[in-house]
Amino acid sequence: MFKPFTDQPIVRIGEDGKKIGRWSLDLEAAQLLRLWRDMVRARIFDEKLVTLLRQGKTSFYAQSSGMEATQVGIAHGIRAGYDWVWPYYRDQGLALAAGFPLKDLVAQSLGTNDDLCKGRQMPHHFGSAEHRFVSISSSIANQVAPATGTAMAQKYLGSDEITVCTFGDGATSEGDWHAGLNMAGVAKAPVLFVCENNQWAISAGIATQTASQGIAIKAKAYGMPGYFVDGQDVLAVREVIREVAERVRSGEGPALVECLTYRIGTHSSADDDSRYRSREEVELWRGRDPIRRFERFLEAEGLLPDAETLSGIRAEINAEIDGVLAEAENNGYPTWDSMFDDVYADLPPHLEEQREFLRREQEAL
Amino acid sequence: MTAVAGAPQTPQQEAKTVQLNLIQAVNLALREEMRSDERVLIFGEDVGARGGVFLATDGLQAEFGAQRVFDTPLSEASIVGAAVGMAVRGLRPVAEIQFADYMYPGIDQIFSQAAKIRYRSGGQFTAPLVIRTPSGGGVRGGHHHSQSPEAYYTHTPGLKVVMPSTPFDAKGLLKASIRLDDPVIFFEPKRLYRAFKEEVPEDDYTVPLGKAALRREGHDLSIIGYGGVMPDAIKAAAALEKEGISVEVIDLRSLIPWDKEAVLESAAKTGRVLLVSEAPRTANFMGEVAYVVQEELFDQLQAPVMQVAGFDTPYPYALDKTYLPGVNRMLRAAARLLEY
Ligand SMILES: Cc1ncc(C[n+]2csc(CCOP(=O)(O)OP(=O)(O)O)c2C)c(N)n1
Repeated sequence: MFKPFTDQPIVRIGEDGKKIGRWSLDLEAAQLLRLWRDMVRARIFDEKLVTLLRQGKTSFYAQSSGMEATQVGIAHGIRAGYDWVWPYYRDQGLALAAGFPLKDLVAQSLGTNDDLCKGRQMPHHFGSAEHRFVSISSSIANQVAPATGTAMAQKYLGSDEITVCTFGDGATSEGDWHAGLNMAGVAKAPVLFVCENNQWAISAGIATQTASQGIAIKAKAYGMPGYFVDGQDVLAVREVIREVAERVRSGEGPALVECLTYRIGTHSSADDDSRYRSREEVELWRGRDPIRRFERFLEAEGLLPDAETLSGIRAEINAEIDGVLAEAENNGYPTWDSMFDDVYADLPPHLEEQREFLRREQEAL
Repeated sequence: MTAVAGAPQTPQQEAKTVQLNLIQAVNLALREEMRSDERVLIFGEDVGARGGVFLATDGLQAEFGAQRVFDTPLSEASIVGAAVGMAVRGLRPVAEIQFADYMYPGIDQIFSQAAKIRYRSGGQFTAPLVIRTPSGGGVRGGHHHSQSPEAYYTHTPGLKVVMPSTPFDAKGLLKASIRLDDPVIFFEPKRLYRAFKEEVPEDDYTVPLGKAALRREGHDLSIIGYGGVMPDAIKAAAALEKEGISVEVIDLRSLIPWDKEAVLESAAKTGRVLLVSEAPRTANFMGEVAYVVQEELFDQLQAPVMQVAGFDTPYPYALDKTYLPGVNRMLRAAARLLEY
């Protein structure tokens, strides 16, 4: 049983890849390799999307490089595809590792015909009902109270699903965050809140967000346990999330997990991070690369596949993403009349008129 | 005319009716929907044991239990937000916001989540929820218990906006709203909660959104309003009738969608349109009605479309009576209209 409210982050693997403390590995080599693969896939996806952006094929992207251990750890700790997720806009690593189809993610970023969200949101705000991954909203922290509501519904329906709600450290300053956690505590809703504390909210550092000792401790105020985890350690994240998620599932009420991590890229495609943080700091955290740390661990355990196998996997991922990207671009874009769909369940008269107006205008073109 | 189709039907002979005021009609609607659909949950501040500060939810917790009717923390953001999340997961939440004036802490949840989740997810997720809230002045409630903020919501695509003015409509519109697959902001004019009673069928019926009610037929002038001003609008019409002026009175009943056809038909017939509401005048929803009337019927109007509304001030406690557009202000506006 992990302890809440620790001063030091919960950790399983040291920087050098050695086990910290005494614990036994309950994962087989194939599962460990899966964790590695999912992190690498998220990293490569980041690189590809940045390229896509430079080519002007998409207009927005929020990198998650540096945060792979946190996101992949979360995905592997929950019942992916069964539990409901109210994510935030930087969760591609979580989404991909949880089985969110790559092609749907890409289609959303390009706003093509295949976009499940029909080209409605800005790029990189994906969602899939089939995968129980609720469409991402740009508005910071406004997924928190709805996540509580979904969990309340699950409890009411007698389901053993739980709801997972993720957000950055900046989100914890918003009123909605506090409102959502407070209600979850009162309602004993089966919701697992996870802060991906990457230490920056655009250019505002964590000290601008809170005067408390981190985020996990805030859970105390809402009557739930708060866990402080080393977010660069995929095993620690996976283990804590798994244990806490099952406790939430068993009806013990909500919990908060804070994963201390770092985004090594810019905030978004529109950001220049050299204006607000030193290169030394970024380099320091580049050195704390979660993928490298995990590789050192696998090596120490004698479980790291040979270089050829690893580069074979990388090549496979590269080919997979390239293939999806090449295909995605050929799928055309939503047509003008789709603009009026899904505002309401049925088209009310005023929208019908407006669609008719646009139709005449389009025909005159 | 279409307005007639949407007007309160005379209850069928066999159907049992009861005399109810507006708040009792709301209560009955909630009770019936909870009985017929287990997905309907009611929550908000003080709605449980207390039964709501206006008693809209009186007796519901006793009948349906605290799993289905419960008090929340004092947080509009979490009330609305939770309603969104529940609706997304398949329930039919009916949330009460104690006063429309207190919706603002939850407004991002309404605007960014409830109103948009269907659209931005391409129809994958929907938020079929109802937010009921008392609105409007006339109860000596002072500034924070008297506002008429409906225009903010009508300006947000994805929301439906309703405001009944009679017990019959309150029950029928609320039941229709709960069954709709869209988020509905349901304003209840609190000064009419106990203003009068009327016969309300005890059995199931709905009043569709987007259909106005013809309260009175006439051919010289159309008075068009909704919500708390309706009884005064009807009184104004009766007063004009005594002077030999025949006035048509239309109650919009819902603002999104609104019954353009009924309004245009009446305006074409009378050629004179007086729009009445108690919300602040600037960017009032009636501005939209006026604009549509002049765009469609410019040639047929006998006079410019006129508006009687609240003032562009925050709601003044001591000047309640002065602020609200009562019968006299309506009559003066009507006189100007008839002079053209
Ligand atoms: C309500 C709201 N205010 C401001 C913004 C603009 N904004 C976008 S991202 C962001 C920073 C969020 O930081 P954090 O929650 O820590 O997440 P991170 O991006 O670091 O992963 C801000 C201020 C927004 N999207 N929503």
